[in-house]
Amino acid sequence: VSSFVDPLVTGLISGNTYALIALGLSLIFGVAELVNFAHGSVFAFGAMLGWYCVAQLHFPLGVAFVAVVATTSLLGLVIERVAVRPLAQAPRIAALLSTVAVGLILDRVSQLIFSPERQMFPNLLPNRSFWIGDSRVDVLDLTIFGATLASVTLLWLFLTRTRFGRALRATAQDRDAACQMGVNVNALQGVAFALSSALAGIAGILVGMYDRNVDATMGFNAGMEGFAAAALGGLGNLPGALIGGLLLGVIESFGVTWFGGSVRPIVAFGVLILVFWLRPSGLLGAVGTTLREPMTGTFFGQGRPVVLQHWHIIAIVLAAAVVMPAFANSYVLRVATIVAIYAILGLSVTLVAGTAGLISLGQAGFFAIGAYTSALLVKSAGWPFWLALPGAGIVAAFLGALLVSPTLKLRGHYIAIVTLGLGAIVSAAILNLTPLTGGPQGISDIPPPTLFSRPLVSPRESYWLALVVLSACTAIVVALQRSHLGRIWRSLRDDEIAAQSSGVRASSYKSLAFTVGAFIAAIGGSLLAHQYTYISPDVFGIDISILALMIALLGGMSNVPGTILGAIVLIGAPELFRPLHDVRILAYGILLLLFVRFRPQGLWLYR
Amino acid sequence: MTTRSTITRHDLFTGALAATATIAAAQLAFSSETTIYYGVAAPLSGDNAGYGAVWKKGMNLAVDEINAAGGIKGRKIALIFEDTQSDPKQAIPVAQLFVDDPRVIAELGDFSSPASEAASPIYERAKLVQFGFNNSDPKFTLGGSYMFSTTSTVVNDASKIADYIFKHLGKRAAVLYQNTQWGDAGRVEFAKRFTDLGGQVVSAENYLATDTDFRAILSKTRNANPNGLALFSYYTDGALLLQQAQDVGLHVRAVSSGSNFSNEFVKLGGAAVEGTVLTVLFFADDPRPDIRRFVSAYTKAYGEKPDAFAATSYDAVKIAAWATEHGGADRDGFYRAFLSGTAIPSLIHGPFAFGPDRRPVRQDETWITIKDGKFISLH
Repeated sequence: VSSFVDPLVTGLISGNTYALIALGLSLIFGVAELVNFAHGSVFAFGAMLGWYCVAQLHFPLGVAFVAVVATTSLLGLVIERVAVRPLAQAPRIAALLSTVAVGLILDRVSQLIFSPERQMFPNLLPNRSFWIGDSRVDVLDLTIFGATLASVTLLWLFLTRTRFGRALRATAQDRDAACQMGVNVNALQGVAFALSSALAGIAGILVGMYDRNVDATMGFNAGMEGFAAAALGGLGNLPGALIGGLLLGVIESFGVTWFGGSVRPIVAFGVLILVFWLRPSGLLGAVGTTLREPMTGTFFGQGRPVVLQHWHIIAIVLAAAVVMPAFANSYVLRVATIVAIYAILGLSVTLVAGTAGLISLGQAGFFAIGAYTSALLVKSAGWPFWLALPGAGIVAAFLGALLVSPTLKLRGHYIAIVTLGLGAIVSAAILNLTPLTGGPQGISDIPPPTLFSRPLVSPRESYWLALVVLSACTAIVVALQRSHLGRIWRSLRDDEIAAQSSGVRASSYKSLAFTVGAFIAAIGGSLLAHQYTYISPDVFGIDISILALMIALLGGMSNVPGTILGAIVLIGAPELFRPLHDVRILAYGILLLLFVRFRPQGLWLYR
Repeated sequence: MTTRSTITRHDLFTGALAATATIAAAQLAFSSETTIYYGVAAPLSGDNAGYGAVWKKGMNLAVDEINAAGGIKGRKIALIFEDTQSDPKQAIPVAQLFVDDPRVIAELGDFSSPASEAASPIYERAKLVQFGFNNSDPKFTLGGSYMFSTTSTVVNDASKIADYIFKHLGKRAAVLYQNTQWGDAGRVEFAKRFTDLGGQVVSAENYLATDTDFRAILSKTRNANPNGLALFSYYTDGALLLQQAQDVGLHVRAVSSGSNFSNEFVKLGGAAVEGTVLTVLFFADDPRPDIRRFVSAYTKAYGEKPDAFAATSYDAVKIAAWATEHGGADRDGFYRAFLSGTAIPSLIHGPFAFGPDRRPVRQDETWITIKDGKFISLH
C-alpha cells in the first residue's frame, strides 16, 4: 500500500504549490491574455522574503505570511504598472518579453537584498506525524493542504461574491465587452496581478517550509511547472489550473517513483503533450474559443520600417568579414563568434515563430540534437566537419518533423507550452540515453572544425567560419521568406482560419516550418559543439530556448537583420557590462525592459 | 533609442571595441608595473553565485596575507575576477580576455567542469595554465597539458566511501546521486568497489541538480531497507535530501564526499545531518598549526568558519604564489614550476607534487562527522 500512498501524498503536496502558481498565471492570462514569465520570480521573491522575516527578523510564521502577501501583492501592482500596462496596445508577445526582463531583474535584486546563497527555512511547526497504514502524514503536510485550501477558498469567494470579482470574471470572459459595460479594465488588470502575486508569495513560503530551504533563483523552474500546470487545465480556466497543478504533481511523483529522478521532465511533459493531443485547449479549456492570438497582426504598421538597400548589405558584409577581423581584438572576435552562433539559433525562431507564427520555446532541443549529432559524427564515426554540419541539420529536421507532430492541431500559447515540453524532453532524453550520448558525462574532446585538414581554432578563423555559416543560414531564411512558401506561412500566421478556407493545409505547412527551423537550429548547434569542444545536457536548458525567442523578438520577430542585431544585443550586452561587476545582470535586465518599453515592435521594422 | 535611428552591427561592434579598449587602458593605468596578476573565472552572479562569493573571501584573504608579508620578491599580487556565471558561453570570451591580457600569468577556476572544459582549448593554445582547482571531473585535466587541479576526484572518494560503509555499517548499501557527470561517476565507482568487497547495492536513485522535492526517491530507498547510504550530492541538495529522509522515515547513516562539507550543510540540514560521515580534504578543526592559522585568520576576517570551498580557493592562490616565486613571474615559468615542483606547499595536501594526470599524487583520508551541529574529527 505504501508504494502507492507515499507517491500520492508527495505528489498532492507538490501539486498544491504548482496549483497556487498555476492559479495566478491563469488569472493573469484570463485578464491580460499574457503568460507572465516574471511569475516564478515573484514566487521566489516571496520565498526569500518569508525566509528573511522568519530567520533573520524572527517574526512569527503568521506575521511572515502577512508581510509576504502584502509585499508580493504590491510587487504585482508594480510589475503590472511598469512592465505590462504601457504595452497594452503592443502585441502580447512584447509584454511577454517585458516580463522575462522583470524576472531577470527580480532574481538579481533578491540575491542582492536577501542572499545569493541557498538558505535554510527554519522549521516552526511541531514535528508531529500520523501514520495512514504504512505512510506518514506530517503536521507540515496538513499545514500546506490547509493553507492552499484557505487561499483557494478566499479567491473563490472574492471572485464570486464581490463586485470586483464579478468584473474580473467578466473581463476574463470578454475584455472588450467588459470595457463597454464600464468596467475599468486597467485597474482590474492591476488587481489580477496583485492577487496572483499574493498567491505566488504564499506558494513561495509554503515551498520554503516544505523543502526546508529557499534560493533566490528557485523561481524559474517553479514558473515553468506552473505554466505547464495552467496549460494542462486550460489557460485562463481557474478550476482547470487547480486540477492541472494537482495532476501534474501526482503524475511527476509517480513517474519519479517508478523511473527515477531524472525522467521527471519526460513524464511531466509527456503527459502534457498527450493531453493536448487529445484536447487541444487543455482539460477544462473551452474548445473553439477565440483568444487574441499572440502573434496575429504582430509588428505591422507601427513606426517607420527600415529597408536595406543592396549597398547597405554589401557594406555590412564587408564590415563584418573584413573590417571586424582586421581591427577587433581576439576577445571581441570570441564574443562575435558566439553572437553568430546564437544568431543562427535566433534565425530558426525567426522562421518558425516570426514567419509561420508558431511560437517555439523548444529550439534548444533542436540546438542540442544538432550539437550531439555533429559531435558524435565527427568524434565517433570519423566524418569530416563539413559533412557532419549538414548531417546534423538533416537528423534534426527528421526528428523535428516527428517530434512536433502532436502540436500541429494546436494554436497560440499552447504551441509555446508544447514546444517547451519538447525541449525539456529532448534534454532529458540526452541525459538518459547514456550509451549513445554519454548521459550526464557529456561528450568531451570534440575535434575543432577543419578546412583542408587544417584545424580552425584561432579567434579569427572561428569567427570567419561562424560568419560564413551565419551568412548561408541568413540566405536560406530570406529566400524562404520571399518565396511562395513564405507567403503561405505568413497567411497562416496572420489568419489561420482564412488561410485554411483558401485551401491551405495548415498542418503540413506548420510541420514544414518546424522542420526547416530544426535544421537551422541544428546547424547552430553543430558550430557550438565544435567551438565549446565539450557538451553536456545542462548546456541546453530551457533558458537557451527562451534566449532564442528573445533574440528573435528583440529583432522584430520576422526580420532577419533584426534577429542578428538581437543576438548582438542579448549576447553582447552582458559582455559590455563586465565592468559593472555585481550589478551586471541587473543592468542587462533593465536594458531589456527599456528596449521593450520604448520599442515594443522590435529593434528593426521590416515591411 | 528613437524610432528613426538604426544601428548596424558595425556600429555596435565599434562601440564594443572602443569600450573594451577604454576598460583595458583604465586597468593598465591603475596597475603598477610591479604587480603580478592572476585571472579568476568564477560564478559571481546566477545560480552558483553563492559559491563565487565564498571563493572571493578565501582568495582575497590569501592575497592580503601574501601582500602584507611583502609580496613575491617584493612585488604585490592581485586577482582579476571575471564573472562567467559558470556558463560555457561566457567562459570562452573570459578565457580569451585573460589569454590576451599580458599581465595575467595563470588562470584560476572555473567553478563547474562544463565551463572550464569549454575554455580549456583557448588556455591550452595560449600556453596559459588553467588551474581548475575545483574541477573534479577526471577528464578536465586530460583536456590538454596546461590543465591542473588540486581537488579530489569523485572516483577517489567513491571507493573510500564504499570501504567505509562495508567496514562500519553493513553489506546493504543504497546510493543517492546527483545525475550529473560528477554524481554518475561516483555511483559507478561506488557500485563497482562495493560489489567487489562482497556487498550489495540495494538501490541507486538519482535526481536532477535543480530538484528540491526528493520524497519519492527517498520513500523508494527506505523500502529497499539499506544499512548505509552513499550520498553523492552537493551541500545544498545533500542537506535537503537528508532533511526529507527524516520526513519519510529513512533513518540510516549517510556517508558522503567532501562536496557536502560546508557550514551551509549543517545550517540547511539542522538535526537531519547529525551523524553523517564525510571524507574530506580539509577540516577546520584539524590541529595542524598552518590550518589553525588559516582558520583563525579567516574567522577574524569574515566572522564565520571557513568551509572547503573557502579553504581550497585560499590554497589555490597560495599555490599559485609559490609557483610564481619558484618558476618566475611569467606564464612559462609558472607552468614549469607546476610540472617540476616536488614538494609544493599546500594547506590541504601538505607538500605535494602533480602526477602525470596533473592532479596531486597522494591523497589523505580524513574522516569527519557531525555532532551537535558541529563537524568533528572521527579519528
